[in-house]
Amino acid sequence: MNKQAIWALALKDMKAVTSSVQIWLPMVIIPVVFCLLIPLGMVLGLRFYSLDALGDIQALVNTMEGLPAGPMRDSIMQWESLEQQLLFFMAVYIMTPLFLLIPLMVASIIAANSFVGEKEGRTLESLLFAPVDLVSLFIGKVLSAFLPAMLVTLGCAVLYSLTINIAGAPLMGRWILPQWNWLAMLFYVVPAMSLGAILFNVAVSARVKGFQEAYQMGVMVILPVFALFFGQVTGLLLFSIPIMLAVGTVVFAISWWAMTRLARSFDRNRLFSSQVR
Amino acid sequence: MAVLLMEAVMKAYNGTPAIQDLSLTVDSGEIVGLLGPNGAGKTTCVRLLTGVIHPDAGKLKVLGLDPQTDGDELRQQCGVLTESAGLYPHMSGQDNLLFFGQLYGVRDRQRCDELLDQFGLKEAKDRNVGTYSTGMKKRLGIARALLHRPRLLFLDEPTNGLDPEGARDLLTYIRRLNEDEDVTVVLCTHLLRQVESLCHRYIFLHRGQLLEEGTLPTLEAKYLQDIKLALETDISEAALREAGFTLLAPLQRRPVLRIGDRSQIPEVLRSITQLGSVYSAEILERDLETLYFKVRGDRA
Repeated sequence: MNKQAIWALALKDMKAVTSSVQIWLPMVIIPVVFCLLIPLGMVLGLRFYSLDALGDIQALVNTMEGLPAGPMRDSIMQWESLEQQLLFFMAVYIMTPLFLLIPLMVASIIAANSFVGEKEGRTLESLLFAPVDLVSLFIGKVLSAFLPAMLVTLGCAVLYSLTINIAGAPLMGRWILPQWNWLAMLFYVVPAMSLGAILFNVAVSARVKGFQEAYQMGVMVILPVFALFFGQVTGLLLFSIPIMLAVGTVVFAISWWAMTRLARSFDRNRLFSSQVR
Repeated sequence: MAVLLMEAVMKAYNGTPAIQDLSLTVDSGEIVGLLGPNGAGKTTCVRLLTGVIHPDAGKLKVLGLDPQTDGDELRQQCGVLTESAGLYPHMSGQDNLLFFGQLYGVRDRQRCDELLDQFGLKEAKDRNVGTYSTGMKKRLGIARALLHRPRLLFLDEPTNGLDPEGARDLLTYIRRLNEDEDVTVVLCTHLLRQVESLCHRYIFLHRGQLLEEGTLPTLEAKYLQDIKLALETDISEAALREAGFTLLAPLQRRPVLRIGDRSQIPEVLRSITQLGSVYSAEILERDLETLYFKVRGDRA
Protein backbone atom coordinates (compact mmCIF):
# COMPACT_ATOMS: atom_id res chain seq x y z
CA MET A 1 0.00 0.00 0.00
CA ASN A 2 1.19 3.47 -0.89
CA LYS A 3 0.27 5.82 2.00
CA GLN A 4 1.56 8.92 0.24
CA ALA A 5 -0.62 8.22 -2.78
CA ILE A 6 -3.65 7.41 -0.61
CA TRP A 7 -3.44 10.77 1.16
CA ALA A 8 -2.64 12.67 -2.01
CA LEU A 9 -5.72 11.21 -3.68
CA ALA A 10 -7.99 11.74 -0.68
CA LEU A 11 -6.86 15.36 -0.22
CA LYS A 12 -7.20 16.05 -3.93
CA ASP A 13 -10.76 14.77 -3.94
CA MET A 14 -11.68 16.63 -0.77
CA LYS A 15 -10.37 19.87 -2.29
CA ALA A 16 -12.48 19.14 -5.36
CA VAL A 17 -15.55 18.96 -3.12
CA THR A 18 -14.85 22.34 -1.60
CA SER A 19 -14.19 23.89 -4.99
CA SER A 20 -17.53 22.77 -6.45
CA VAL A 21 -20.41 24.89 -5.21
CA GLN A 22 -22.91 22.32 -6.50
CA ILE A 23 -21.47 19.77 -4.11
CA TRP A 24 -20.72 21.81 -1.00
CA LEU A 25 -23.80 24.03 -1.02
CA PRO A 26 -26.26 21.20 -0.21
CA MET A 27 -23.80 20.05 2.44
CA VAL A 28 -24.14 23.46 4.10
CA ILE A 29 -27.84 24.10 3.50
CA ILE A 30 -29.11 20.76 4.77
CA PRO A 31 -27.24 20.93 8.10
CA VAL A 32 -28.36 24.52 8.62
CA VAL A 33 -31.99 23.57 7.99
CA PHE A 34 -31.98 20.31 9.93
CA CYS A 35 -29.56 21.17 12.72
CA LEU A 36 -30.40 24.80 13.34
CA LEU A 37 -33.72 25.95 11.89
CA ILE A 38 -35.92 22.88 12.50
CA PRO A 39 -34.68 22.18 16.07
CA LEU A 40 -34.91 25.86 16.88
CA GLY A 41 -38.50 25.97 15.61
CA MET A 42 -39.24 22.80 17.57
CA VAL A 43 -37.86 24.15 20.87
CA LEU A 44 -39.32 27.61 20.51
CA GLY A 45 -42.71 26.13 19.59
CA LEU A 46 -42.77 24.06 22.77
CA ARG A 47 -41.55 26.94 24.89
CA PHE A 48 -43.78 29.73 23.67
CA TYR A 49 -46.94 28.09 22.37
CA SER A 50 -49.47 25.86 24.07
CA LEU A 51 -49.53 22.27 22.79
CA ASP A 52 -53.02 22.79 21.36
CA ALA A 53 -51.68 25.60 19.18
CA LEU A 54 -49.00 23.34 17.70
CA GLY A 55 -51.35 21.53 15.36
CA ASP A 56 -51.63 17.77 15.22
CA ILE A 57 -49.22 16.97 18.01
CA GLN A 58 -51.46 14.26 19.46
CA ALA A 59 -50.06 11.64 17.10
CA LEU A 60 -46.58 12.30 18.47
CA VAL A 61 -47.84 12.19 22.05
CA ASN A 62 -49.56 8.87 21.33
CA THR A 63 -46.37 7.41 19.84
CA MET A 64 -44.38 8.56 22.85
CA GLU A 65 -46.86 7.22 25.35
CA GLY A 66 -47.19 3.98 23.42
CA LEU A 67 -43.48 3.20 23.76
CA PRO A 68 -42.89 -0.14 25.49
CA ALA A 69 -41.46 -0.14 28.97
CA GLY A 70 -37.69 0.08 29.01
CA PRO A 71 -34.78 2.49 29.24
CA MET A 72 -36.06 4.59 26.33
CA ARG A 73 -39.48 5.17 27.90
CA ASP A 74 -37.86 5.73 31.33
CA SER A 75 -35.49 8.35 29.98
CA ILE A 76 -38.48 10.27 28.56
CA MET A 77 -40.83 9.86 31.47
CA GLN A 78 -38.26 11.13 33.97
CA TRP A 79 -39.28 14.61 32.82
CA GLU A 80 -42.24 16.15 34.58
CA SER A 81 -44.14 18.22 32.04
CA LEU A 82 -45.47 16.99 28.72
CA GLU A 83 -43.54 19.79 26.96
CA GLN A 84 -40.29 18.57 28.50
CA GLN A 85 -41.07 14.96 27.61
CA LEU A 86 -41.91 15.90 24.05
CA LEU A 87 -38.78 17.99 23.59
CA PHE A 88 -36.62 15.20 24.98
CA PHE A 89 -38.40 12.61 22.84
CA MET A 90 -38.02 14.65 19.67
CA ALA A 91 -34.51 15.94 20.31
CA VAL A 92 -33.01 12.66 21.40
CA TYR A 93 -35.00 10.06 19.43
CA ILE A 94 -37.10 11.47 16.61
CA MET A 95 -34.37 13.66 15.16
CA THR A 96 -31.56 11.16 15.63
CA PRO A 97 -31.95 9.45 12.22
CA LEU A 98 -30.91 12.77 10.72
CA PHE A 99 -27.41 12.01 11.82
CA LEU A 100 -27.59 8.97 9.67
CA LEU A 101 -29.19 10.81 6.77
CA ILE A 102 -26.57 13.55 6.56
CA PRO A 103 -23.42 11.39 6.42
CA LEU A 104 -25.04 8.90 4.07
CA MET A 105 -26.04 11.71 1.75
CA VAL A 106 -22.58 13.33 1.83
CA ALA A 107 -20.78 10.01 1.50
CA SER A 108 -22.99 8.85 -1.35
CA ILE A 109 -22.62 12.04 -3.39
CA ILE A 110 -18.83 12.04 -3.10
CA ALA A 111 -18.37 8.29 -3.49
CA ALA A 112 -20.72 8.01 -6.47
CA ASN A 113 -18.54 10.56 -8.21
CA SER A 114 -15.27 8.84 -7.26
CA PHE A 115 -14.23 6.75 -10.26
CA VAL A 116 -16.88 7.89 -12.68
CA GLY A 117 -15.90 11.52 -12.00
CA GLU A 118 -12.31 10.69 -12.95
CA LYS A 119 -13.61 8.98 -16.05
CA GLU A 120 -15.82 11.88 -17.10
CA GLY A 121 -12.96 14.31 -16.47
CA ARG A 122 -10.68 12.05 -18.54
CA THR A 123 -8.22 11.82 -15.64
CA LEU A 124 -8.78 8.15 -14.80
CA GLU A 125 -6.28 7.27 -17.51
CA SER A 126 -3.62 9.45 -15.84
CA LEU A 127 -4.29 7.81 -12.48
CA LEU A 128 -4.04 4.32 -13.93
CA PHE A 129 -0.78 5.17 -15.68
CA ALA A 130 0.72 6.15 -12.32
CA PRO A 131 2.80 3.62 -10.36
CA VAL A 132 0.15 3.26 -7.67
CA ASP A 133 -1.46 -0.07 -6.80
CA LEU A 134 -5.23 -0.21 -7.17
CA VAL A 135 -5.80 -0.98 -3.50
CA SER A 136 -4.22 2.38 -2.65
CA LEU A 137 -6.33 4.13 -5.29
CA PHE A 138 -9.40 2.42 -3.89
CA ILE A 139 -8.62 3.33 -0.27
CA GLY A 140 -7.84 6.92 -1.28
CA LYS A 141 -11.26 7.15 -2.92
CA VAL A 142 -13.00 5.63 0.12
CA LEU A 143 -11.23 8.04 2.48
CA SER A 144 -12.08 11.04 0.32
CA ALA A 145 -15.77 10.34 0.93
CA PHE A 146 -15.50 9.02 4.47
CA LEU A 147 -13.61 11.93 6.02
CA PRO A 148 -15.92 14.71 4.74
CA ALA A 149 -18.96 12.64 5.75
CA MET A 150 -17.60 12.30 9.28
CA LEU A 151 -16.57 15.96 9.47
CA VAL A 152 -19.97 17.19 8.30
CA THR A 153 -21.72 14.84 10.74
CA LEU A 154 -19.58 16.02 13.63
CA GLY A 155 -20.20 19.66 12.68
CA CYS A 156 -23.93 18.95 12.47
CA ALA A 157 -23.91 17.20 15.82
CA VAL A 158 -22.19 20.15 17.49
CA LEU A 159 -24.56 22.65 15.85
CA TYR A 160 -27.62 20.56 16.73
CA SER A 161 -26.52 20.02 20.33
CA LEU A 162 -25.83 23.70 20.87
CA THR A 163 -29.18 24.69 19.34
CA ILE A 164 -31.17 22.23 21.47
CA ASN A 165 -29.16 22.88 24.64
CA ILE A 166 -29.10 26.66 24.47
CA ALA A 167 -32.62 27.19 23.17
CA GLY A 168 -34.09 24.39 25.28
CA ALA A 169 -32.29 25.15 28.59
CA PRO A 170 -35.05 27.48 29.95
CA LEU A 171 -37.61 24.68 29.46
CA MET A 172 -35.47 21.71 30.50
CA GLY A 173 -33.42 23.38 33.25
CA ARG A 174 -30.19 21.84 31.97
CA TRP A 175 -28.42 20.75 28.80
CA ILE A 176 -29.79 17.45 27.52
CA LEU A 177 -27.33 16.56 24.78
CA PRO A 178 -25.31 14.49 24.21
CA GLN A 179 -26.95 11.28 25.38
CA TRP A 180 -25.22 7.88 25.34
CA ASN A 181 -27.45 6.40 22.64
CA TRP A 182 -26.77 9.47 20.59
CA LEU A 183 -22.99 9.12 20.96
CA ALA A 184 -23.21 5.45 20.05
CA MET A 185 -25.09 6.47 16.94
CA LEU A 186 -22.60 9.19 15.99
CA PHE A 187 -19.38 7.38 16.67
CA TYR A 188 -20.30 3.80 15.85
CA VAL A 189 -23.38 3.39 13.66
CA VAL A 190 -22.74 6.45 11.46
CA PRO A 191 -19.13 5.50 10.55
CA ALA A 192 -20.21 1.91 9.91
CA MET A 193 -23.17 2.86 7.74
CA SER A 194 -21.19 5.54 5.91
CA LEU A 195 -18.40 3.10 5.15
CA GLY A 196 -20.92 0.59 3.82
CA ALA A 197 -22.60 3.20 1.63
CA ILE A 198 -19.24 4.46 0.36
CA LEU A 199 -18.04 0.98 -0.54
CA PHE A 200 -21.22 0.30 -2.45
CA ASN A 201 -21.02 3.65 -4.24
CA VAL A 202 -17.33 3.31 -5.08
CA ALA A 203 -17.92 -0.18 -6.46
CA VAL A 204 -20.82 1.12 -8.56
CA SER A 205 -18.83 4.16 -9.65
CA ALA A 206 -16.04 1.96 -10.97
CA ARG A 207 -18.46 0.03 -13.14
CA VAL A 208 -21.04 2.42 -14.55
CA LYS A 209 -20.72 4.79 -17.47
CA GLY A 210 -21.79 8.11 -15.97
CA PHE A 211 -22.35 10.03 -12.73
CA GLN A 212 -26.15 10.04 -13.04
CA GLU A 213 -26.22 6.27 -13.27
CA ALA A 214 -23.80 5.95 -10.35
CA TYR A 215 -25.84 8.30 -8.21
CA GLN A 216 -29.16 6.62 -8.97
CA MET A 217 -27.78 3.21 -8.14
CA GLY A 218 -26.03 4.57 -5.07
CA VAL A 219 -29.27 5.94 -3.65
CA MET A 220 -30.83 2.48 -3.91
CA VAL A 221 -28.71 1.18 -1.05
CA ILE A 222 -29.79 4.01 1.24
CA LEU A 223 -33.53 3.59 0.79
CA PRO A 224 -33.98 0.30 2.68
CA VAL A 225 -31.86 1.65 5.52
CA PHE A 226 -34.12 4.67 5.77
CA ALA A 227 -37.26 2.64 5.57
CA LEU A 228 -36.02 0.73 8.60
CA PHE A 229 -34.81 3.66 10.67
CA PHE A 230 -37.62 6.07 9.88
CA GLY A 231 -40.36 3.51 10.42
CA GLN A 232 -42.14 4.91 13.47
CA VAL A 233 -41.95 2.68 16.55
CA THR A 234 -39.78 -0.07 15.07
CA GLY A 235 -37.28 2.57 13.99
CA LEU A 236 -37.26 4.24 17.38
CA LEU A 237 -36.58 0.95 19.12
CA LEU A 238 -33.39 0.60 17.13
CA PHE A 239 -31.99 3.61 18.95
CA SER A 240 -31.29 1.75 22.14
CA ILE A 241 -27.60 1.38 22.88
CA PRO A 242 -27.34 -2.45 22.67
CA ILE A 243 -29.17 -2.56 19.34
CA MET A 244 -27.06 0.23 17.91
CA LEU A 245 -23.87 -1.46 19.02
CA ALA A 246 -25.07 -4.67 17.42
CA VAL A 247 -26.14 -2.93 14.19
CA GLY A 248 -22.84 -1.02 14.03
CA THR A 249 -20.82 -4.21 14.57
CA VAL A 250 -22.72 -6.12 11.90
CA VAL A 251 -22.42 -3.27 9.38
CA PHE A 252 -18.71 -2.85 10.15
CA ALA A 253 -18.16 -6.57 9.66
CA ILE A 254 -20.03 -6.54 6.35
CA SER A 255 -18.16 -3.41 5.24
CA TRP A 256 -14.81 -4.92 6.13
CA TRP A 257 -15.63 -8.07 4.24
CA ALA A 258 -16.89 -6.04 1.27
CA MET A 259 -13.83 -3.81 1.34
CA THR A 260 -11.34 -6.66 1.26
CA ARG A 261 -13.30 -8.36 -1.50
CA LEU A 262 -13.68 -5.18 -3.52
CA ALA A 263 -10.03 -4.24 -3.09
CA ARG A 264 -9.03 -7.68 -4.36
CA SER A 265 -11.47 -7.57 -7.26
CA PHE A 266 -10.19 -4.21 -8.47
CA ASP A 267 -8.19 -4.97 -11.55
CA ARG A 268 -6.37 -2.32 -13.57
CA ASN A 269 -6.86 -4.17 -16.82
CA ARG A 270 -10.61 -4.48 -16.26
CA LEU A 271 -11.04 -0.95 -14.95
CA PHE A 272 -9.07 0.46 -17.85
CA SER A 273 -10.77 -1.65 -20.48
CA SER A 274 -14.27 -0.85 -19.25
CA GLN A 275 -13.86 2.78 -18.23
CA VAL A 276 -11.24 4.36 -20.51
CA ARG A 277 -12.00 4.86 -24.16
CA MET B 1 20.05 -3.21 -26.32
CA ALA B 2 16.28 -3.57 -26.63
CA VAL B 3 14.39 -1.69 -23.92
CA LEU B 4 11.05 -2.68 -25.34
CA LEU B 5 9.98 -5.93 -26.87
CA MET B 6 6.67 -7.19 -28.22
CA GLU B 7 6.44 -10.74 -29.49
CA ALA B 8 3.40 -12.08 -31.33
CA VAL B 9 1.10 -9.93 -29.21
CA MET B 10 -2.67 -10.18 -29.65
CA LYS B 11 -5.29 -7.96 -28.10
CA ALA B 12 -9.00 -7.67 -28.83
CA TYR B 13 -11.73 -5.48 -27.34
CA ASN B 14 -15.08 -7.27 -27.13
CA GLY B 15 -14.03 -9.63 -29.87
CA THR B 16 -12.77 -6.89 -32.19
CA PRO B 17 -9.04 -7.31 -32.78
CA ALA B 18 -6.99 -4.23 -31.88
CA ILE B 19 -3.51 -5.79 -32.09
CA GLN B 20 -2.81 -8.84 -34.22
CA ASP B 21 0.34 -10.89 -34.00
CA LEU B 22 2.46 -7.80 -33.48
CA SER B 23 6.20 -8.11 -32.89
CA LEU B 24 8.53 -5.16 -32.56
CA THR B 25 11.51 -3.88 -30.60
CA VAL B 26 12.83 -0.49 -29.57
CA ASP B 27 16.45 -0.04 -28.61
CA SER B 28 17.80 2.06 -25.78
CA GLY B 29 18.29 5.69 -26.75
CA GLU B 30 16.07 5.53 -29.82
CA ILE B 31 13.28 7.89 -30.77
CA VAL B 32 10.76 5.71 -32.56
CA GLY B 33 7.70 6.97 -34.38
CA LEU B 34 4.67 4.69 -34.17
CA LEU B 35 2.71 5.69 -37.24
CA GLY B 36 -0.69 4.77 -38.54
CA PRO B 37 -4.20 6.09 -39.00
CA ASN B 38 -6.78 6.24 -36.22
CA GLY B 39 -7.58 2.71 -35.08
CA ALA B 40 -4.20 1.34 -36.18
CA GLY B 41 -3.43 0.24 -32.61
CA LYS B 42 -0.89 2.89 -31.56
CA THR B 43 -2.61 3.81 -28.29
CA THR B 44 -3.35 0.17 -27.51
CA CYS B 45 0.39 -0.53 -27.90
CA VAL B 46 1.21 2.16 -25.32
CA ARG B 47 -1.38 0.78 -22.92
CA LEU B 48 -0.08 -2.77 -23.33
CA LEU B 49 3.53 -1.69 -22.92
CA THR B 50 2.79 0.19 -19.71
CA GLY B 51 0.80 -2.70 -18.26
CA VAL B 52 -2.51 -0.88 -17.87
CA ILE B 53 -4.16 -3.44 -20.12
CA HIS B 54 -3.12 -7.02 -20.64
CA PRO B 55 -2.54 -8.86 -23.91
CA ASP B 56 -4.67 -11.84 -24.89
CA ALA B 57 -1.55 -13.62 -26.14
CA GLY B 58 2.11 -12.97 -26.80
CA LYS B 59 5.09 -11.72 -24.83
CA LEU B 60 5.91 -8.22 -23.62
CA LYS B 61 9.11 -7.03 -22.00
CA VAL B 62 9.81 -3.38 -21.17
CA LEU B 63 12.99 -2.23 -19.41
CA GLY B 64 13.54 -5.87 -18.50
CA LEU B 65 10.17 -6.07 -16.74
CA ASP B 66 6.92 -7.82 -17.54
CA PRO B 67 4.24 -5.09 -17.77
CA GLN B 68 1.56 -7.52 -16.63
CA THR B 69 3.23 -8.60 -13.40
CA ASP B 70 5.66 -5.74 -12.66
CA GLY B 71 3.34 -2.93 -13.73
CA ASP B 72 3.93 -0.47 -10.89
CA GLU B 73 7.69 -0.93 -10.99
CA LEU B 74 7.63 -0.39 -14.73
CA ARG B 75 5.34 2.65 -14.59
CA GLN B 76 7.76 4.18 -12.07
CA GLN B 77 10.33 4.27 -14.88
CA CYS B 78 8.01 5.31 -17.71
CA GLY B 79 6.48 8.64 -18.53
CA VAL B 80 3.23 8.74 -20.47
CA LEU B 81 1.55 11.66 -22.17
CA THR B 82 -1.96 10.69 -23.17
CA GLU B 83 -3.79 12.39 -25.99
CA SER B 84 -6.14 14.25 -23.65
CA ALA B 85 -3.35 15.24 -21.18
CA GLY B 86 -5.58 14.02 -18.28
CA LEU B 87 -5.20 16.96 -15.91
CA TYR B 88 -7.53 18.29 -13.21
CA PRO B 89 -9.17 21.50 -14.47
CA HIS B 90 -10.20 22.78 -11.03
CA MET B 91 -6.60 22.61 -9.78
CA SER B 92 -3.77 24.99 -10.63
CA GLY B 93 -0.93 23.90 -12.87
CA GLN B 94 1.39 23.70 -9.90
CA ASP B 95 -1.09 21.71 -7.80
CA ASN B 96 -1.55 19.25 -10.66
CA LEU B 97 2.19 18.65 -10.80
CA LEU B 98 2.48 18.39 -7.01
CA PHE B 99 -0.38 15.89 -6.91
CA PHE B 100 1.07 13.65 -9.61
CA GLY B 101 4.50 14.12 -8.00
CA GLN B 102 3.11 12.45 -4.89
CA LEU B 103 1.74 9.56 -6.94
CA TYR B 104 5.13 9.10 -8.60
CA GLY B 105 7.00 9.46 -5.30
CA VAL B 106 8.63 12.78 -6.27
CA ARG B 107 9.20 14.68 -3.04
CA ASP B 108 11.31 17.42 -4.60
CA ARG B 109 9.11 20.50 -4.98
CA GLN B 110 11.92 22.14 -6.92
CA ARG B 111 11.48 19.58 -9.68
CA CYS B 112 7.93 20.88 -10.26
CA ASP B 113 9.12 24.51 -10.38
CA GLU B 114 11.95 23.53 -12.72
CA LEU B 115 9.54 21.86 -15.16
CA LEU B 116 6.99 24.69 -14.97
CA ASP B 117 9.79 27.07 -15.83
CA GLN B 118 11.14 24.83 -18.58
CA PHE B 119 7.77 24.59 -20.29
CA GLY B 120 6.95 28.29 -20.02
CA LEU B 121 4.23 27.84 -17.41
CA LYS B 122 5.83 29.69 -14.51
CA GLU B 123 3.59 32.73 -14.90
CA ALA B 124 0.45 30.61 -15.13
CA LYS B 125 1.34 28.09 -12.41
CA ASP B 126 -1.30 29.39 -9.96
CA ARG B 127 -4.07 29.53 -12.52
CA ASN B 128 -6.61 26.73 -12.73
CA VAL B 129 -5.81 24.33 -15.57
CA GLY B 130 -9.37 24.79 -16.83
CA THR B 131 -8.35 28.26 -17.98
CA TYR B 132 -5.26 27.01 -19.88
CA SER B 133 -5.07 26.90 -23.68
CA THR B 134 -4.73 23.50 -25.40
CA GLY B 135 -1.02 24.12 -25.89
CA MET B 136 -0.50 24.98 -22.22
CA LYS B 137 -2.34 21.83 -21.14
CA LYS B 138 -0.20 19.76 -23.47
CA ARG B 139 2.99 21.30 -22.09
CA LEU B 140 1.82 20.68 -18.54
CA GLY B 141 0.99 17.09 -19.54
CA ILE B 142 4.55 16.62 -20.77
CA ALA B 143 5.92 18.20 -17.61
CA ARG B 144 3.87 15.67 -15.64
CA ALA B 145 5.21 12.80 -17.74
CA LEU B 146 8.77 13.96 -16.99
CA LEU B 147 8.34 14.63 -13.27
CA HIS B 148 9.98 11.40 -12.11
CA ARG B 149 12.78 11.52 -14.74
CA PRO B 150 11.60 8.46 -16.71
CA ARG B 151 13.96 6.32 -18.75
CA LEU B 152 11.28 5.62 -21.31
CA LEU B 153 8.76 8.13 -22.58
CA PHE B 154 5.52 7.32 -24.40
CA LEU B 155 4.01 10.30 -26.15
CA ASP B 156 0.59 9.86 -27.69
CA GLU B 157 -0.07 12.61 -30.26
CA PRO B 158 2.13 15.10 -28.38
CA THR B 159 1.78 17.94 -30.88
CA ASN B 160 -1.98 17.67 -31.40
CA GLY B 161 -3.51 21.06 -30.67
CA LEU B 162 -0.18 22.89 -30.51
CA ASP B 163 0.56 25.91 -32.69
CA PRO B 164 3.62 25.62 -34.97
CA GLU B 165 5.91 27.35 -32.47
CA GLY B 166 4.63 25.19 -29.63
CA ALA B 167 5.11 22.02 -31.68
CA ARG B 168 8.62 23.04 -32.71
CA ASP B 169 9.64 23.86 -29.13
CA LEU B 170 8.25 20.60 -27.87
CA LEU B 171 10.02 18.51 -30.50
CA THR B 172 13.28 20.35 -29.80
CA TYR B 173 12.85 19.55 -26.12
CA ILE B 174 12.21 15.87 -26.86
CA ARG B 175 15.34 15.71 -28.98
CA ARG B 176 17.39 17.36 -26.24
CA LEU B 177 15.98 15.00 -23.64
CA ASN B 178 16.93 12.06 -25.81
CA GLU B 179 20.44 13.35 -26.53
CA ASP B 180 21.33 14.74 -23.12
CA GLU B 181 19.58 12.29 -20.80
CA ASP B 182 19.46 9.23 -23.04
CA VAL B 183 15.69 8.92 -22.66
CA THR B 184 14.15 6.44 -25.08
CA VAL B 185 11.05 7.86 -26.74
CA VAL B 186 8.10 6.14 -28.39
CA LEU B 187 6.00 8.68 -30.19
CA CYS B 188 2.55 7.92 -31.60
CA THR B 189 1.37 10.36 -34.18
CA HIS B 190 -0.27 10.91 -37.52
CA LEU B 191 1.25 14.38 -37.94
CA LEU B 192 4.07 13.07 -40.07
CA ARG B 193 5.73 16.30 -41.15
CA GLN B 194 6.32 17.35 -37.57
CA VAL B 195 8.19 14.21 -36.52
CA GLU B 196 10.10 13.63 -39.73
CA SER B 197 13.29 15.20 -38.48
CA LEU B 198 12.93 13.85 -34.94
CA CYS B 199 12.59 10.08 -35.11
CA HIS B 200 15.48 7.70 -35.65
CA ARG B 201 13.16 4.96 -36.84
CA TYR B 202 9.55 4.46 -37.84
CA ILE B 203 7.10 1.64 -37.25
CA PHE B 204 4.01 1.61 -39.46
CA LEU B 205 0.88 -0.03 -38.08
CA HIS B 206 -2.30 -0.93 -39.89
CA ARG B 207 -5.27 -2.48 -38.11
CA GLY B 208 -3.08 -3.66 -35.29
CA GLN B 209 -0.53 -5.29 -37.55
CA LEU B 210 3.03 -4.34 -38.37
CA LEU B 211 3.12 -3.03 -41.90
CA GLU B 212 6.70 -1.87 -42.16
CA GLU B 213 9.55 -0.54 -40.07
CA GLY B 214 12.85 1.14 -40.70
CA THR B 215 14.88 4.32 -40.77
CA LEU B 216 14.12 7.00 -43.32
CA PRO B 217 17.05 5.99 -45.62
CA THR B 218 16.12 2.29 -45.56
CA LEU B 219 12.48 3.08 -46.25
CA GLU B 220 13.53 5.41 -49.04
CA ALA B 221 15.75 2.76 -50.58
CA LYS B 222 12.93 0.26 -50.47
CA TYR B 223 10.00 2.40 -51.56
CA LEU B 224 11.43 5.27 -53.64
CA GLN B 225 12.28 3.42 -56.83
CA ASP B 226 11.02 6.05 -59.19
CA ILE B 227 13.02 9.16 -58.38
CA LYS B 228 11.90 12.64 -59.37
CA LEU B 229 14.66 15.22 -59.48
CA ALA B 230 13.71 18.94 -59.66
CA LEU B 231 16.44 21.19 -61.08
CA GLU B 232 17.04 24.86 -60.66
CA THR B 233 18.86 25.48 -63.91
CA ASP B 234 19.16 27.69 -66.98
CA ILE B 235 19.11 24.64 -69.27
CA SER B 236 15.93 24.45 -71.35
CA GLU B 237 13.59 21.49 -71.17
CA ALA B 238 14.19 20.90 -74.88
CA ALA B 239 17.92 20.60 -74.30
CA LEU B 240 17.37 18.14 -71.48
CA ARG B 241 15.04 16.07 -73.65
CA GLU B 242 17.53 16.15 -76.46
CA ALA B 243 20.19 14.84 -74.05
CA GLY B 244 17.98 11.79 -73.46
CA PHE B 245 16.34 12.60 -70.11
CA THR B 246 12.70 11.80 -69.36
CA LEU B 247 10.89 14.92 -68.19
CA LEU B 248 7.77 15.15 -66.05
CA ALA B 249 5.54 18.18 -65.50
CA PRO B 250 7.64 21.08 -64.19
CA LEU B 251 7.38 22.10 -60.58
CA GLN B 252 7.32 25.85 -59.98
CA ARG B 253 9.01 26.38 -63.35
CA ARG B 254 11.72 23.90 -62.46
CA PRO B 255 12.19 20.99 -64.85
CA VAL B 256 11.60 17.61 -63.20
CA LEU B 257 13.58 14.57 -64.38
CA ARG B 258 12.49 10.98 -63.86
CA ILE B 259 15.39 8.77 -62.83
CA GLY B 260 14.99 5.03 -62.47
CA ASP B 261 17.38 4.50 -59.62
CA ARG B 262 18.92 6.52 -56.81
CA SER B 263 22.38 5.27 -57.76
CA GLN B 264 22.10 7.02 -61.11
CA ILE B 265 21.85 10.49 -59.56
CA PRO B 266 25.62 11.35 -59.51
CA GLU B 267 26.01 10.38 -63.16
CA VAL B 268 22.89 12.36 -64.14
CA LEU B 269 24.18 15.45 -62.35
CA ARG B 270 27.58 15.16 -64.06
CA SER B 271 25.88 14.93 -67.46
CA ILE B 272 23.58 17.89 -66.83
CA THR B 273 26.33 20.19 -65.64
CA GLN B 274 27.96 19.62 -69.03
CA LEU B 275 24.87 21.20 -70.62
CA GLY B 276 24.73 24.40 -68.54
CA SER B 277 24.50 25.84 -65.04
CA VAL B 278 22.72 23.92 -62.31
CA TYR B 279 21.99 25.90 -59.11
CA SER B 280 20.20 23.20 -57.15
CA ALA B 281 18.85 19.68 -57.51
CA GLU B 282 16.15 18.35 -55.18
CA ILE B 283 14.79 14.82 -54.91
CA LEU B 284 11.01 15.20 -54.74
CA GLU B 285 8.51 13.16 -52.74
CA ARG B 286 11.04 11.66 -50.40
CA ASP B 287 9.39 13.00 -47.28
CA LEU B 288 7.87 10.82 -44.61
CA GLU B 289 4.34 11.52 -45.77
CA THR B 290 5.06 10.21 -49.28
CA LEU B 291 6.77 7.17 -47.80
CA TYR B 292 3.83 6.64 -45.47
CA PHE B 293 1.40 6.47 -48.38
CA LYS B 294 3.73 4.27 -50.38
CA VAL B 295 4.08 1.89 -47.43
CA ARG B 296 0.33 1.84 -46.93
CA GLY B 297 -0.23 1.40 -50.66
CA ASP B 298 -3.77 0.28 -51.39
CA ARG B 299 -4.67 0.38 -47.72
CA ALA B 300 -4.56 4.21 -47.60
